[in-house]
Amino acid sequence: MTTWTFDEWFVVTLARTIADREVTFHGFGSPCAQVAMHVAKRTHAPRMMLVEGATYAVDPDPPFIPPTGNDASLQRGARYRMRFEEFFDAAIRGDVDRMFLSGGQIDAHGNTNVTAIGGFPDGAKVKLGGGGGGCNLSATIKHLTLWTTRHRSGRALVGACDFVTDLGHHTPAGSRAELGYTGGGPQWLVTELGVFDYVDGCVRLRHLFPDVTLDEVRAATGFPLTVADDLGTVPAPAEGELAVVRRIDPLGVRRSEFAAAELCRSFDEDAG
Amino acid sequence: MVFHLDDDKRVPLQQAAALVPDGALVALGGGLSARLPMALVRALVRRGIRGLHVVGSAHGIDVDLLIAAGAIAVCEESYVGFEQDLGLAPAFRRAAESASIEVRESCCDTVLQQLRAAEFGLPFLPVRGVRGSDIGRLHPEYGQVCCPFTGENLVAVPALAPDVALLHAPLADARGNLHLEQPYVLDERFAAASRTVVATAERIVGADEVAAAGVTVPAHVVAAVSEVPYGAHPTSCYPDYAYDRPHLAEYVAAAGAGGDDLAKYLDRYVTGQPDEDGYRAEVGADRLARLRGWSASTEAWQEMFR
Repeated sequence: MTTWTFDEWFVVTLARTIADREVTFHGFGSPCAQVAMHVAKRTHAPRMMLVEGATYAVDPDPPFIPPTGNDASLQRGARYRMRFEEFFDAAIRGDVDRMFLSGGQIDAHGNTNVTAIGGFPDGAKVKLGGGGGGCNLSATIKHLTLWTTRHRSGRALVGACDFVTDLGHHTPAGSRAELGYTGGGPQWLVTELGVFDYVDGCVRLRHLFPDVTLDEVRAATGFPLTVADDLGTVPAPAEGELAVVRRIDPLGVRRSEFAAAELCRSFDEDAG
Repeated sequence: MVFHLDDDKRVPLQQAAALVPDGALVALGGGLSARLPMALVRALVRRGIRGLHVVGSAHGIDVDLLIAAGAIAVCEESYVGFEQDLGLAPAFRRAAESASIEVRESCCDTVLQQLRAAEFGLPFLPVRGVRGSDIGRLHPEYGQVCCPFTGENLVAVPALAPDVALLHAPLADARGNLHLEQPYVLDERFAAASRTVVATAERIVGADEVAAAGVTVPAHVVAAVSEVPYGAHPTSCYPDYAYDRPHLAEYVAAAGAGGDDLAKYLDRYVTGQPDEDGYRAEVGADRLARLRGWSASTEAWQEMFR
C-alpha cells in the first residue's frame, strides 16, 4: 500500500499548480517550492522551463537539493545558466509565467509580508529577512503560487499585513490595474490545512486535507473565510510524484519549513 | 569610475582593506552563502571600521558579522539571513528591531536598475514595480517619472555608485583580472557601477591562466587584488570548496545568544587573530581541506550538508 507523509503531499500539491510549458521560478529560502518545481518537471510538466531561485540555472538536474539555494549542486546538468540581470529583465518584461512566494503574513488579497512583524521601520517585533526580489517580481510575473506552512498558528493568514512587501490582487494603494501592473497576481494558495484559489481577487478555500476540518481552517484564518460550493479533498499524490520527491530531496530540506507536529501527519491510499 | 591601469596591483589583505574608509557606501559581492568576501569583511572588522552603508541583493554572514561588530550604519540589502536552514540573521534582526541601524530594505531589481543607471552615466532609471509595496515608504529618495512616449507613470530610482565593491574570486592575475564561477549575482554590475573594486582571490596566477578560464571582471576596474586562500570561508567558493555549514551554524548560535557568546566568536575568529593565517589556523587545516572534498562523489558532497 502506498503511504506518504504530509511534507511529501504538500510538495506534490505545490507541484500541481505548475502547468506544462510554464517558465517557473522560486525564491531562495523556499525548499518546498524548490522541490515542487523539480517534481513538476519530472512528472506532468516536462516542458516547463525551470529557473533555479538563486543560481538562475535553467533546467538543472541536481544530484540532491542542498540546504542553501546558492550552491553549485543546483547548477548540475543545466545547459544554460542565466545571469542575475537576464532573469530579472525577463520577469519584469513579463516573460516569466509563475513564481512561488510565501510570507510571515498573507492577507485575503494575497499581499505578503516578508519584511517585519509589527510596525516598520518603527516598532518592529520581528525583523524578517526581507523580500529579496519579490516586490518587483510580484508585479509582472504572470501567475503567483503562494504557500505557507504556518496557517495553523493563526498568525500567517491575517486581516491586514503589518507591511506589504509583495503584491497581491489588491493593495492598500489600489488594484493591479490601477497600479499599471501586467502580472495576474496570486492564482493559488497552498497551506498545511488546504488549497485555496482566488475569485475576484479574494482567496477561497477549494480543498481540505482529509485530517483537517472546516472549523479548524476558520479558527486559524484572520479574515472571514470564503468556501467553494464544491469544497473537496486535496487529491492524493501519485506514486510517481512521491518517488521524485524522495529521489530529488534525500536530505529532506523540505521538512525545514514545517513545525514538528505537521511532520507526524502520515497518510495512505485507503484513508486518503 | 576611474580606470586602474597599473601592471601589478597585488597588495597584502590589510592594504586592500585600507581602501575602504569609514562611512563608505559598500557593495559586497556574492550572494546568500556563496562567494561572500569574508576575508575582507574580517579585515575591516579587525580595523574597527564604522558607519558603512551596505547595498546589494540577498546576503548572510557578511552583513550580519559587520553589524555584530558595529560596522554598519545603513543596510540597503534586499535580504539578510540564513534561509530556511539556519533562519533569521541574529545581529541584523536585533539591530533592526532596536533601530540601532537604519534598514532601507530594497528589492533585487531596484538595486540592479540603480547600479545600471550609475554604469550608464545616467541620473536615474525607471522601474516597473515598487508602487503598492511598502518598500517604497523606506525610500523617500525615489521619485516618479511619466514616460514621454506612452504616458505610463513609473517609479524613478536614482543612480547608485558604490564607493567600493568588495569581491572574492577563485582566480585572479597580478593586474587584477578576475575569473568568477556562475552565478555572478550582482558582481559584474557592482564592478561596473562602483568607483573602485577591491578584490581577493583564492589564487593569483599568470594572466594566461585567467584568460583561459575567462575574465569576468576586467583588471581596468580593479584597484587592488590580494591572494587569500579560503577568503570566502565559511561561505563557498566553487570550484575550490563548498560552504562550511557547521561553522555558519556556530556563528548563528553565537550571534543569536549575543553578549559573551558573540564576543567570544568575534575574539576567537576575527579580532583575536592578527590576520587570515590566524583565522585559518583557528578553523583548522583539516576542516578546511575537507570542504574541498565535495567533488569526490555525489555521496561525499551530500554528506557535507547533513
